[in-house]
Amino acid sequence: MLLALLLAGCESQPQVTFADASITPPDDPIELPEGPGRDAVLENCTACHSPSTMLQQPRVSREKWESIANKMIEVYKAPVDEAAIPAIADYMVAVQARGEPQQPN
Amino acid sequence: MSKLEQHTGTRLTRRALIAGAGGAALAAPVLAQELGRMIDLGLPGGPSLRPLTPAFPGKGEMIVQRIRPPLLETPMEVFSQGTITPNDRMFVRWNWDMPTAVNAAEHRVAVGGAVKQPVSLTLDDIAAAGEHVEVVAINQCAGNGRGLSNPRVTGTQWGNGAMGCAKWTGVRLKDVLAKAGVAGGATRVRFAGLDVPLTDGAPQFIKSIPLDIAMRDDVLVAWAMNGEALPLMHGFPLRIVVPGWFSTYWVKMLSTIEVLTGADDSYYVAKSYRIPAAPITPDDKDFPTVEITTMPPRAFITSHADGAAVALGKPLVLEGIGMGGDAALERVDLVGDGWAIPCELGPDEGPYAFRRWQVTLPQVAGNLEKIGVRAANVTGAVQPDALNWNPSGYARNVIERITLVAQ
Ligand code: HEC
Repeated sequence: MLLALLLAGCESQPQVTFADASITPPDDPIELPEGPGRDAVLENCTACHSPSTMLQQPRVSREKWESIANKMIEVYKAPVDEAAIPAIADYMVAVQARGEPQQPN
Repeated sequence: MSKLEQHTGTRLTRRALIAGAGGAALAAPVLAQELGRMIDLGLPGGPSLRPLTPAFPGKGEMIVQRIRPPLLETPMEVFSQGTITPNDRMFVRWNWDMPTAVNAAEHRVAVGGAVKQPVSLTLDDIAAAGEHVEVVAINQCAGNGRGLSNPRVTGTQWGNGAMGCAKWTGVRLKDVLAKAGVAGGATRVRFAGLDVPLTDGAPQFIKSIPLDIAMRDDVLVAWAMNGEALPLMHGFPLRIVVPGWFSTYWVKMLSTIEVLTGADDSYYVAKSYRIPAAPITPDDKDFPTVEITTMPPRAFITSHADGAAVALGKPLVLEGIGMGGDAALERVDLVGDGWAIPCELGPDEGPYAFRRWQVTLPQVAGNLEKIGVRAANVTGAVQPDALNWNPSGYARNVIERITLVAQ
């Protein structure tokens, strides 16, 4: 194989052409189950990623949801209203307790 | 101005975010309608159902982990079809929003840092930088299989489909580096792509590899995947290819190559994508970590799913794929409770490629409880019986077990 590569190297390289590329990704329907605190999650947690980021997580504690929200603020500089964190954590705990099926996004 | 502000055209206020979210919610629920079919990834404790859709540009039917930024998983059935993963079925993974258009003529790759002469290269410059090289290599997410961790951990809840094998074409990274000339004292080479954070001050997804790895003959700046131009979702126009290493280093939409003279203290190397330096238990809290680098061996049964029926009293042929990780696959054994049967390996497509295996059991005498396949590579690395649990769910390579029901 090395020999083949060396031989290829002696000859003129195949022409590579680069054309412009663009795509239109599907829309994100941003679906979150109903429940108290839904607006807080919608407002604070869906700017950077789809709700499935939250909804697909395994069941974790309320404290873990608070620490996830704080990680978003500290690491990813998420513009989260700190006063909304309890409502966000309550909502996520309640949704997980209902054991809803994974939302379609 | 941050990218999020550019998106919303205003300072990043809560009002802007609500407007953004509301607008999108009112937009097209098209995908939701198309997301009819669901797949069960078998994640312990759930949620385990994910939509399957062909709705992403250039993609066939994929498991949707996340629409934005896209996280698409390859259904396991794809791996039963061969060793090469077609481009339209290769998994997709972006940490931050992905750019949706790239102008080829305007694209530049800046090569700088500890170099003799910083350069800004066009795509044609890159293609002319050296010999064109093809490598068949597995691209696997560091978190592949995270959703199967027990106890569960947070992060993207992948099944085992965040992997694929393709033929990559490009030039050697060392030839591109030679355009600028690596200066004395260089330690690492860091890559950045066109994807940037949405918020000011947030870490950009940049990654670095040690200089000796960067200088390897098979580490590429690649423009083609399976003989076609890299699709945008896979990093058009250029991505780094580091055979044997997890795909976190295979930076997409490459726009910057930076030679470092010290350690890399950037977030995605120094703080994230790290594994315990030594095995830990889920109760351990403070432990030293090291950056995740090379892939360990893995193997999968692709001919039968967990719970599948097999014919009692008849011979049974099992098939699948194996990989050696950062070294060639040496063997695959079918293992049960206290027994192991060597499998026959298929054609060798190179040390970093998937390799098919097959084994025939002369007669099914009853249920085949918790059988699995165990890969070993030429350096002696073998898949373990128990999960190397870690809090980020990285580098899963425990033997995957299934049960076949004799009927
Ligand atoms: C500024 C952008 C931003 C905002 C706003 C944001 N996140 Fe995130 N979030 C991220 C990024 C970036 C990741 C990592 C994505 C990846 O790895 O693909 C992430 C990942 C996650 C994850 C996956 C687990 C993990 O730790 O990686 C969860 C859960 C999550 N976010 C929850 C939230 C919640 C809850 C909120 C609202 C309080 C929120 N996010 C708001 C940027 C954001």
